[in-house]
Amino acid sequence: MLNSETIKSRNNVKIIGSGPKTLLFGHGFGCDQNMWRFLTPYLETQFRIVLFDYVGSGNSDISQYDKQRYKKLEGYALDVIEVCTALELSDLVFVGHSVSGMIGALAAFERPDLISKLIMVCPSPCFLNFPPDYQGGFDKEDLQELLSLMDKNYIGWADYLAPLVVGNANSAELIGELSGSFCSTDPVIAKNFAEATFFSDYRFLLKKIKQPTLILQSQDDALADVSVGEYVKQEIETSSLIVITAQGHCLQMTHPEIVSESIINYIQ
Amino acid sequence: MSKFNPNNVTPTTYSVDCFLCGALITDSKNTIVYVNNYFESHLLWKPDELVGQNINKILTKSSRIFFQSYLIPTVLHEKKSEEMQLIIFNGQGRKTPMTINAQINEEGLVFWSLFNATKQDQLYDELIKTREKLEEQAEKLKSLAATDELTGLLNRREMNYRSGLLLDQSLRSKQTIALLVIDIDDFKIINDTFGHLEGDRVLKELGQVLKNFGRQTDLISRYGGEEFLIMLPDTDKKGAVLFCNRLHTLIATVLVNDNPVTVSIGLTISNNAKSFLDLFTQADNAVYEAKARGKNRTQLYGDKGHL
Repeated sequence: MLNSETIKSRNNVKIIGSGPKTLLFGHGFGCDQNMWRFLTPYLETQFRIVLFDYVGSGNSDISQYDKQRYKKLEGYALDVIEVCTALELSDLVFVGHSVSGMIGALAAFERPDLISKLIMVCPSPCFLNFPPDYQGGFDKEDLQELLSLMDKNYIGWADYLAPLVVGNANSAELIGELSGSFCSTDPVIAKNFAEATFFSDYRFLLKKIKQPTLILQSQDDALADVSVGEYVKQEIETSSLIVITAQGHCLQMTHPEIVSESIINYIQ
Repeated sequence: MSKFNPNNVTPTTYSVDCFLCGALITDSKNTIVYVNNYFESHLLWKPDELVGQNINKILTKSSRIFFQSYLIPTVLHEKKSEEMQLIIFNGQGRKTPMTINAQINEEGLVFWSLFNATKQDQLYDELIKTREKLEEQAEKLKSLAATDELTGLLNRREMNYRSGLLLDQSLRSKQTIALLVIDIDDFKIINDTFGHLEGDRVLKELGQVLKNFGRQTDLISRYGGEEFLIMLPDTDKKGAVLFCNRLHTLIATVLVNDNPVTVSIGLTISNNAKSFLDLFTQADNAVYEAKARGKNRTQLYGDKGHL
């Protein structure tokens, strides 16, 4: 059994801001808690904010990485539960970007006492296409090719990975601003996380989520189409969807004002 | 034939079309503004099919993600990118792996050079397969080297190694741990009377009982012949005694000739700095005492009465 201090340092937990409500932020694949740094200034005056890195990402304790545990998103959801337990958090709002939307849903289903609301930024329960009922956006072959490209470019790639995905409108200005967000990741761990992310299918989970859920989707996102957001909305009974006029997969970095406003309105 | 004179080389004589590689220019919106002849001669695109189009047109779906998340950010940030491998479509929709270099000029135009990487790609595939195979084998060997063949529990070597780590961790976090030496009573009689195969069955079944009962964080091993060693992290005396009592009941479900198997358990609880050897010696002494006091019981180290 790991004690709370071990978990806080294992997951590089940081607490900022103050307020009656606590927000727990879960980052997406290929990055770490840094990806929230444009958003938190808008929220820290009203909320207590807990940031962390999943084991294997950012400044987490990589020696605690267990290939078996993190083969599936359940392993990452256990990180969320353990961080909550270590900090004695309950009744919190979990804000998850991309794959963390589903990780948060898994944790919320497992421990409804800990998580009372979910906010998903560009989530996808399943990246694979299952025609004709579901279009996740990718055929299996596409995703296998993506993992193979990660392997073939792994020298360099994992040291210099821009948060997936800034979008087509890649102005030099935006990239310059995001340069501090390039994440150095262990390539083997990154690939394992990629496999857990891109080959998972958690559509079955959505109907079981009873917490109020806000879905923020980008209008033009290479990874999660608007129709995926609509699917999530339709499956989670207690959810609402906001489609943001934007390009790219990282709304919290490219459009922090709109994202923070949506979060504040939703929680209030 | 006249001798080659570099001063005679003019752009009209030799152009970028002479090189056996693709050359492509995009503007700041990723629109293709120029392609060299290679795209027509080797990749079977007609120039008017590409110029004016977004570069996405020639990239596969996975390459687009790489392009957006890695290639373009790198080019914008570092002003260049070298030796990226992507997969592009030729004019007939066939996929071709390409090695790509790119640099950006002050006007924001990006100059791409693309080299056929079909053979290199095959080599990478073979290397990746070999790496995966080696990883798989290493994992298998590691697991074999750590496991007792008969019971599937940790073996003695692995138990020694992991106990040391767990003990250090418990000392750091100031948690108590319990160590149990479990010895099957009269095992020699079982072997001598019913044969070694029956003895093996008992060991196997008992191993299964221990495995099913233990928590995920407990270390459970077959330490020697009929001796099992269990380390329980974050467990105090009360919890350990309950655990032992329950074990006696569960182990009694293993039968030999319709009689329940019994065990003697030596138990010790860590307090402050103790080496694994110290703890093991204590638990081992306790199990001898349990035997001396009539077997089928748990003896706590340093405790005068039995539990």
